Amino acid sequence: MTKMNNEQVAASAATIRAATDVGGTFTDLVYFVTDHSTGEQRVVTAKANTTPPDFERGVLEVLMRSGIRIGEINSLAHGTTVVINAIAERKGVLTGLITTRGFRDSLEIARGNRPDFFNLHYVKPEPFVPRYLRREVEGRLAQDGSERWPLQLDELPAIIDDFRHEGVQAIAICLLHSYANPAHERAVLEHVRNLWPEVSVVASHQITREWREYERTSTAVLSAYVQPIAERYLTRLSGGMRERGFGGQLYIVQSNCGVDSVEKTSEVPITMVESGPASGFWGAAELGRLIGESNVLALDIGGTTAKCSLIEGGQVKITSDYWIERSRLSAGYPILVPVVDLVEIGQGGGSIAWVDDFGKLHVGPQSAGALPGPAAYGRGGTAATTTDANLALGRIDRDYFCGGEIEADMDSVERALGPIAGRLGLDITEAARGIVRIANNNMVNALKLVSLNRGYDPRDFTLVAFGGGGGMHAAALAAELGMRKVVIPRAAEVFSAWGMLMSDLRRDYFITRLVSLAPDQGAAIRALLREAVDGALTQFSDEGIEPERISFRQYGRLRYENQEHSVEVPIPDGQLHAVAIKDLIDSFHQAYEREYTYRLDAPVEFVGLHVVASAEVGKLEPTRLAVTGRSLEDTRRPNRLVDYATEGIHEAAIYTGELLEPGMSFPGPAVVETKGTTVVVHPGNELTVDDYGNLHITLS
Amino acid sequence: MNSEAATDPITLDIIAGGLQAAGEQMFVALRRAAMSAIIYEVLDAGSAITDPAGDLVSSGAGIPTFVAVLDRAVKCILALHGREELRPGDVFLTNDPAYGGVTHLNDVVVALPVFAGTELVAWAANIAHWNDVGGMAPGSISTDAIEIFQEGLRLPAVKLIDAGRPLRSVFDILRANSRLPDFLTGDLWAGIAAARVGERRILDLVQRYGQRAVERAIDREIATGEQLARHRLRALPTGRFELEEEQDGGAVFTVAVEIRDAEFIVDLRTNPDQDEGPTNLSRDGATIAAQMALMNIIGLQGSANAGHLRPLTVLTRPGSVFDPTPTAACSLYYETRIALYDLILRCLAPHLGDRLPAGSFASICGTYIGGRHPDTGRHFTIVEPEIGGWGASQSHDGNSALFSPVHGDTFNCPAEVAEGRYGLYVEQLALSGACGGAGEYRGGRGITLDYRVRSDGCFLTLAYRRSEHPPWPLLRGEPGSSNYVEVLRRDGRTERYRAVTTLPLSAGDLIRIHTANGAGVGDPRRRDRARVLEDVRNGYVSTAEAQEVYGCTL
Repeated sequence: MTKMNNEQVAASAATIRAATDVGGTFTDLVYFVTDHSTGEQRVVTAKANTTPPDFERGVLEVLMRSGIRIGEINSLAHGTTVVINAIAERKGVLTGLITTRGFRDSLEIARGNRPDFFNLHYVKPEPFVPRYLRREVEGRLAQDGSERWPLQLDELPAIIDDFRHEGVQAIAICLLHSYANPAHERAVLEHVRNLWPEVSVVASHQITREWREYERTSTAVLSAYVQPIAERYLTRLSGGMRERGFGGQLYIVQSNCGVDSVEKTSEVPITMVESGPASGFWGAAELGRLIGESNVLALDIGGTTAKCSLIEGGQVKITSDYWIERSRLSAGYPILVPVVDLVEIGQGGGSIAWVDDFGKLHVGPQSAGALPGPAAYGRGGTAATTTDANLALGRIDRDYFCGGEIEADMDSVERALGPIAGRLGLDITEAARGIVRIANNNMVNALKLVSLNRGYDPRDFTLVAFGGGGGMHAAALAAELGMRKVVIPRAAEVFSAWGMLMSDLRRDYFITRLVSLAPDQGAAIRALLREAVDGALTQFSDEGIEPERISFRQYGRLRYENQEHSVEVPIPDGQLHAVAIKDLIDSFHQAYEREYTYRLDAPVEFVGLHVVASAEVGKLEPTRLAVTGRSLEDTRRPNRLVDYATEGIHEAAIYTGELLEPGMSFPGPAVVETKGTTVVVHPGNELTVDDYGNLHITLS
Repeated sequence: MNSEAATDPITLDIIAGGLQAAGEQMFVALRRAAMSAIIYEVLDAGSAITDPAGDLVSSGAGIPTFVAVLDRAVKCILALHGREELRPGDVFLTNDPAYGGVTHLNDVVVALPVFAGTELVAWAANIAHWNDVGGMAPGSISTDAIEIFQEGLRLPAVKLIDAGRPLRSVFDILRANSRLPDFLTGDLWAGIAAARVGERRILDLVQRYGQRAVERAIDREIATGEQLARHRLRALPTGRFELEEEQDGGAVFTVAVEIRDAEFIVDLRTNPDQDEGPTNLSRDGATIAAQMALMNIIGLQGSANAGHLRPLTVLTRPGSVFDPTPTAACSLYYETRIALYDLILRCLAPHLGDRLPAGSFASICGTYIGGRHPDTGRHFTIVEPEIGGWGASQSHDGNSALFSPVHGDTFNCPAEVAEGRYGLYVEQLALSGACGGAGEYRGGRGITLDYRVRSDGCFLTLAYRRSEHPPWPLLRGEPGSSNYVEVLRRDGRTERYRAVTTLPLSAGDLIRIHTANGAGVGDPRRRDRARVLEDVRNGYVSTAEAQEVYGCTL
């Protein structure tokens, strides 16, 4: 620490909010320094290699390298892939499972489904707990939570002895109907803790109060499987930060795009499973609030994947319908934790183009990754990627590739595109256009999944596109979907980090409880709500967060009796009299009809609650960009020819993004280039810069 | 961009992708909106887009055996109503095997002609299993039926919505003929909504790329599909392969498969006369069994189209069990269809290297339980297939507890949901402890599933196969075990069934469902010793079995 460079960022007169994101290849740091006297805000970024298996080393490394004084950071939001990596690489701990008598095989039986339906060589996903470590206890609850047979704990000592003997390091407990009444699970949990205080143990009700025993078992098992690893990681990270003088608040980014404390996250680390990807969507919602756009289709295009999510009325959608490793080829594993409702496809700048046996062009999902990377990197990559196609078409400036840091190897690009063009019977330019069009089409389909497929018309939304590749494709995608407006946020390549710094402390509670919606059932629903809210308040107050800082939003999950899928509708505050119940039912019919195109004259049933509790924890204050009076002409670079695929080749005006100022505007064809990203403005588009430096593209 | 010029290969690929997505979106809509668990959880449903003439273009997920049902339905509607009579906004229904329904009366097809202006450009269609369409038994399925009239309401490709106007009389007839009219109404509207989703997506493509481009994309997809199928067929050994196999009821089914010149010919002409009971399979249904086997063998992923299926010829004899007269009972067709499918695989497996695994439990194990819900007093009906063990391959053990190979992304019902919905207790759902399926690679385990009945006056109907003749092994592996049901009466008696109709049950009785282990591949004595020990540790193989069958002393 004494080695810290004293000339760096010295500013007690400034607030420093930092975000770190541990990715597969790099650990990124972004921090925002807000100068109190000038109100000016600077964005600084740094990178270090990700350091598996001790990911905290990379985080500490990037902090040191950035020159930031750790002691001056006011808050640090941290996104990490430590959980998803441990699962993906099967590097969790040996886990034992305790279930209700007759259900130890639930984890292996799963749901019996086989998505790859013509394939007789399908292999079912292997359970995370082998059968000899799946044990049962006697005792049974009924669906309403009442006790059918009392719990018998007399076999537990022998089970625990076996687990010790076998080298088990974590135990998951999942008993039938514990979502309705956790009493049996609690008793087993306590007993295990008494018998074996050192072992890591989790019961399903601590994570979720939703029904479906396989899904809950899978959730508890995966949580137990990563718990010791995540705990160790978080302990080392916060310890290492403290040792280096960090005195600010450390928050961990959650899958529901909120943040939470290290202590709370350590209890149930599985909530970090989508830590990171979610923050960009939260950022898009916050940005929407800032610029007056409450309906947003948010799209994050990175190197390997593209992710999108729909934001309606300023609210990010959170669900607990989440699986890992699920695809057309595999059933995957469910995890019932609140996750932002997103669609992710293997489509990014590094996605590899290929031609199948029948002359069809495909792009992705294989990616060239960071090594060897696109052919243009000149690091031995021989496969053509979307980035290579964009270079070949002049959409990316070959002389300013990666902000001028890498010299684009155009010979490699041609060599990589050659075989694709040959297979398609096209020339190289046509092949490159094809790659861009197919990539765009894949992303359009993903955007349709989150909009049209759920009854939303994309034309009612603004496309907010970010990530390194967002600006490259956004205008074309919007045109394809008939959308009128695109916004590319300032510093789009690190927008997720901005989102992290805009996050609230947020917890989502999903609770299954069947209640009929008879006019006199308001009190029952109100009581259930009370129970959920009180539970949350107790939890927060135990952590020293005052009730005044917490705000709640509450939704009922309703459905037609006997249907499976429920629709969420907001529950109004106050007494739920007969009239309020009727209003609730009416809003269900409306929401249902929007999603499914019809409504039924059938009884409506209340299936459960979704309660969102959030508390502000000191956000980044967005600041307006200074206007120096620079002329638009001074931001320009030499024109060049850009191939707009289906719209032909145009001479485009080229602008330096960093020099653009609020109030500037210009028409397409144009390209805006910054160090981290390229924004392609199509003929007929009009671009304006808003007060915060975001780029608004209006389509004709 | 507009229309006529835009037929470069990239555009055609994008349109084809759009048609595929439209089929899938239709399926998602159907599943999300359906009222019955058999549709939204069991996924006894399918969706497809056909060209104007009814040739299959793309299909959604669901049950793979439904993919080529919908083209038959469309063709039948076209033949009956005439293309000129169709109008935008029309919706048709069919469920009768003699009218393009292919399967049984419970499976109802909703088909919607898609018009761009005045021109027919495609059809959006879907099919789903309705819980009850009338007939002699609840659920419309009875092992006692001897003619189709006892199996419910026949819908001979009728119009349901006329140019956007619902024909109320037809809706009234439908409702009046079901024991569960509210379920029927919900499921019917789910089908209509789904077809309209398909329509919208197709029209989006027409608007974006022009009608000619969409037509060209369709033709190209089908041509490519045919090319692919023939290409894969050429890699197979040629010859004529024959097999006869005794079924549980004593009937002997035969098949001869000829593979030559990129053709796949399935000859079923020597099979027995049609059945007195409900196990007849329509000729269209027999064709689907052969299509399924073909798709498995040529190793295709995802969706099938008309082109993939062109190399197939199926020969049947009118009046036989695989080509019965139109009024033959057929509600249990599905066990005959999976029997035929399994027969074709068994016939070819020994000749195709490692392309096909050993025999699976090979039964739908359709289970119907109904009665009064003890908590709500309302009537409940379970209609569900069961999961079971799959056969081993030459490199892997078989999967345990999957739905049959003719199912796909089908989900079983969680015990926690079932207990509330049906008012039964699920006492256990475990992997089967039965012997069977040993091998160098062993078969997957079937299941044991216990339902405790909670009210008097309930009933049980089922018809399983591979109860007497277990799943077939390969290369000196062992056969699998058996599919059957035990009823453990409150007074201690135990009854065993492979088929029964409306068996009365009382509160306290236990229904114990056993499904078979799949068959093994290779001599069990050659199984890797470490794997046998692992199996013993995990309780997949008993100590005695390890010793006696695997020759592995511990």
